[in-house]
Amino acid sequence: MPDRMSQPSRAVIFFCKVNGIEYEEIKVHIPKGQHLTPEFEAINLMQKLPAIADGRFKLFESHAILIYLACAFPGVADHWYPADVFKRSKIHSVLDWHHSNLRRGAAPYVFNTTIAPILGRPLNPQVAAEAEIILSSSLSKLESFWLKGNGRFLLGGNQPSIADLSLVCELMQLEVLDEKDRTRLLGPHKKVQQWIENTRNATSPHFDEVHRVIMLAKERQQHQRLKAAKNEGGSNMKRPLVSRM
Amino acid sequence: MKLKLYADRMSQPVRAVIIFCKKNGIDFEEIRVDIAKRQNLTPEYAEINPMKQLPAIVDGRFKLFESHAILVYLASSFPGVADHWYPADVFKRSKIHSVLDWHHSNLRRGPTTIVRNTVLAPVLGRPLNPEAAAEGEKFLSASLSKIESVWLKGNGRFLLGGNQPSIADLSLVCDIMQLELLGETERNRLLGPYKEVQQWIENTRNATNPHFDEVHKILMKAKEKLQNPRMKGATNEGGGSDMKRTLHSRI
Repeated sequence: MPDRMSQPSRAVIFFCKVNGIEYEEIKVHIPKGQHLTPEFEAINLMQKLPAIADGRFKLFESHAILIYLACAFPGVADHWYPADVFKRSKIHSVLDWHHSNLRRGAAPYVFNTTIAPILGRPLNPQVAAEAEIILSSSLSKLESFWLKGNGRFLLGGNQPSIADLSLVCELMQLEVLDEKDRTRLLGPHKKVQQWIENTRNATSPHFDEVHRVIMLAKERQQHQRLKAAKNEGGSNMKRPLVSRM
Repeated sequence: MKLKLYADRMSQPVRAVIIFCKKNGIDFEEIRVDIAKRQNLTPEYAEINPMKQLPAIVDGRFKLFESHAILVYLASSFPGVADHWYPADVFKRSKIHSVLDWHHSNLRRGPTTIVRNTVLAPVLGRPLNPEAAAEGEKFLSASLSKIESVWLKGNGRFLLGGNQPSIADLSLVCDIMQLELLGETERNRLLGPYKEVQQWIENTRNATNPHFDEVHKILMKAKEKLQNPRMKGATNEGGGSDMKRTLHSRI
């Protein structure tokens, strides 16, 4: 049950497509508040996305879902979630770190600089500023530690794992930012940029397909910014965005 | 070579790992890294954990940080760990992952934030910040409500309807125990409405004693000092460092 604007939803969709796991994608549209309905609450009491229902088994939290899928479905290559306890533990380590670091920085930053109006909420520059500090620090840690060495992926790997999917999907959310902000944030981190590209190449054509909705949102945002730059007021901004969603 | 655990028992995730090891008879060497003295910020410790946080383990040449990853590693690698801590069954295990993941962005943002911005602020050399503490309180209340309505739903004595504790129970209960530092009145105000949560904390304590109480001894001593009126006066300028010294000598 996803909304493809949701980063963790994309990671799960991505994983299923890349590994040939058949699923029925049931769209739960966050801007329309569909995640807050009693129907969805019956699937996930926390009212968040993504969630899965596999027969009678329901599960939420994207990392738990990715691990479940990697373990429960045949034919998933070992590099996604290695059986080796040492490699697996390192993947748990980066997935845990992600919650309080990259996710905690990137998500509120993007929300409070760009996405909030789409959901009818105000932008919050103070929260954005605090989130930017965490985001910058997390990007530095990715560059200097998680991408240390000669591997093409996190933890020195030469094949992607579920951790690469989760974190790259989070970073792709930055596409909707103003280009100058995105460049300012990502520009200093060459390894991070290369790693995003490596992940994209390793998971083509699914990467572009799954991220189409983000790239469309990016185009709309750029269009709105150009319009706002030409107009004096921003009153026109909200309507076209909502009608496209 | 014995497992090395880098620890400060004032840290909730550290306590969860220590209790787990003791309860499961996992032999380890506890190496104290004093957060209040900023020992986690030294270059030596950065070699162990570049994120400069606790806990971290070194098992032979294998280094690992993030308490949930450590708990899962220990449950998977050491013989004799009973299945209920981290079940082999993929469905039960997935549910445990679900609550451990939820914890990061929910309960974990509660007690620590409150405590760091109120009673522990002087010890950590930080300013008091009632606004930040209030934010922490919101996370705490929302999380405790969710624990009661979702994770403790049903008749089990532990999370996810279990009748035996898992690593998730240890992790979350140790986090809530940090509220002890606020003193009886505040703790009761915050936890009072949540009867099932209180019962679950007691269940977890009983299932893991005497280790639970032993590992929390330092926290309880710190609580006494923080709540002692004489020491309260000493939390001003000159006394801050006295508290630090006394706390350190007991840890």
